[in-house]
Amino acid sequence: MSAWNLTGTAPQAPAKGEDALSVSQAVELAANALDALPMLTVIGEVTGFRGPNARSGHCYFQIKDDAAAVDCIVWRGTYAKRSFDLRDGMEVQFTGGFNLYKPTGRMSFVARSFTLAGEGLLRQQVAALAEKLRREGLMDEARKRPIPAFCTRVAVVTSLSGAVIDDVKRTLRRRNPLVELVCVGAKVQGEGAPAELIEGLARAAALDPAPDCILLVRGGGSFEDLMTFNDEALARAVASCPVPVVTGIGHEPDQSICDMVSDRRCSTPTAAAESVAPAIGDLIDLLHARERRLAAATSSLVRGASGGVGALVARLEGAMGARLSQERRVLDGLGNRGCLRSPGYIVERRRSEVAQTADRFERAVDRSQERFAGALEGMPRRFRAATARLAAFGHGLELSDARLRTAGEGISEARRRDLGAQAAKLDALSPLKVLARGYAIAYGDAGVQVSAHSFAPGDALRVRFADGEVSGTVDTVSDRGLSARGDEEER
Amino acid sequence: MAETKPIEEMSYKEASQELERIIRSLESGDLELEESLEGYTRGVELLKSLRSRLAAAEQKVSVLMKDIDGTETLVPAAPADDSDALKL
Repeated sequence: MSAWNLTGTAPQAPAKGEDALSVSQAVELAANALDALPMLTVIGEVTGFRGPNARSGHCYFQIKDDAAAVDCIVWRGTYAKRSFDLRDGMEVQFTGGFNLYKPTGRMSFVARSFTLAGEGLLRQQVAALAEKLRREGLMDEARKRPIPAFCTRVAVVTSLSGAVIDDVKRTLRRRNPLVELVCVGAKVQGEGAPAELIEGLARAAALDPAPDCILLVRGGGSFEDLMTFNDEALARAVASCPVPVVTGIGHEPDQSICDMVSDRRCSTPTAAAESVAPAIGDLIDLLHARERRLAAATSSLVRGASGGVGALVARLEGAMGARLSQERRVLDGLGNRGCLRSPGYIVERRRSEVAQTADRFERAVDRSQERFAGALEGMPRRFRAATARLAAFGHGLELSDARLRTAGEGISEARRRDLGAQAAKLDALSPLKVLARGYAIAYGDAGVQVSAHSFAPGDALRVRFADGEVSGTVDTVSDRGLSARGDEEER
Repeated sequence: MAETKPIEEMSYKEASQELERIIRSLESGDLELEESLEGYTRGVELLKSLRSRLAAAEQKVSVLMKDIDGTETLVPAAPADDSDALKL
């Protein structure tokens, strides 16, 4: 209590009414006393934090511990320089001083700066380390090595005294007893734990034969308990371990830096143990499936091969059968030829041909006879018809003959009468009559001559008389002289 | 089947992998009939061995101990307590 005797004077009991202070005086006194306090650093849990005041930007909340609480103010300017957001429940270290707001008499702690404290600080440091290692690439997915689906030999690095090692053993015995476990003991919390774990990892990795993977596991615990696995050196040892590392640290939501840099992160030690080998039931199922596949593949191969043989046999038989039946058909065809079937075949065939020819001949003769008979049949009729017309002609001829005779007789009678008259006339006119009367006809070389001048002396002269002719030569020619004429006649 | 390591000398994983290989080659159908029958015989032996190993499997646990002189020794340890196991 003496620490609070800051004025150096013992408190005076108010004596009477005249020594009483006004409220303002009393508050002023208190305010001065608070101002006289040096700069304080206070650790407390943030509570009632509702963010900066919407209008002013200042933050008003409380900080508390188990027994006390005090209002806390962070001015806008201070809050703007913060490295993290304040949240209820945070363990924060505030540096500043008390202030008394006189109008209400309320005392507040005004923080000039604040930093995380306790777990909050640790978490911030862990986050920074995680970010650093991430930047270095230790958390890259590409770095993570595959863990065999079925690890035959597994090393477990953890405390040999806790329940965790038994959990791992039991889990693997139940899941897959074929997995061989090598336990490597190490402290998992407290002073020196990271170093022991680093050494454990190295010893496990150096096993001969090397394990398929290393389980780095630890049971659940407080944040501080699990801080071992946020150790930078341990994280680097996990990342650089020559054997793939599977982590199972704490419980589901916990994630340590070792989890981030390991090759596989499981949420618990049990999950980590389960992840390194298939369940034996699955193996049995797999064997059953393989047995079926083996049988199916082999029997299908055998079936295929025997099917192939069967097909070949069938083809062989088919081909031979086809060939033989073809030959058989050819032979049958040959055997069925008449010449082979019966010795008399050729004679028979010739005979049959002759018979056919004879038939044809007979039929041809018959047909030709019929044709002639048919032709003759019409002849008498046609002949009769033709001769009938001849009778008519005969009759016509007879009539014509009669008519002709009659007509001819008429014509010849008249002609005969005309001819008698003509003959009488002709007779009357006949030169011969004239000649008989004494006239003669002179003929020269050119015939009858009617002119004396047709003749010249020397010409031949013929003179016709009624009873004959005389011939001579002309001596002279004279005009109308009858004497002359007498002369000539005489000569 | 170039590999004819005695089955007893193979680890479970090796035997299991060889069995898978044999089955795949049988399933591919590329083998001669004689080869495939050989493979089948080997496959059946592997299967038998694997099955008996599963049936008889007992957890093998050891602890890596460092002696005073620094040498590492594997000390056989008790397998997990199986009193809680589900007896099938």
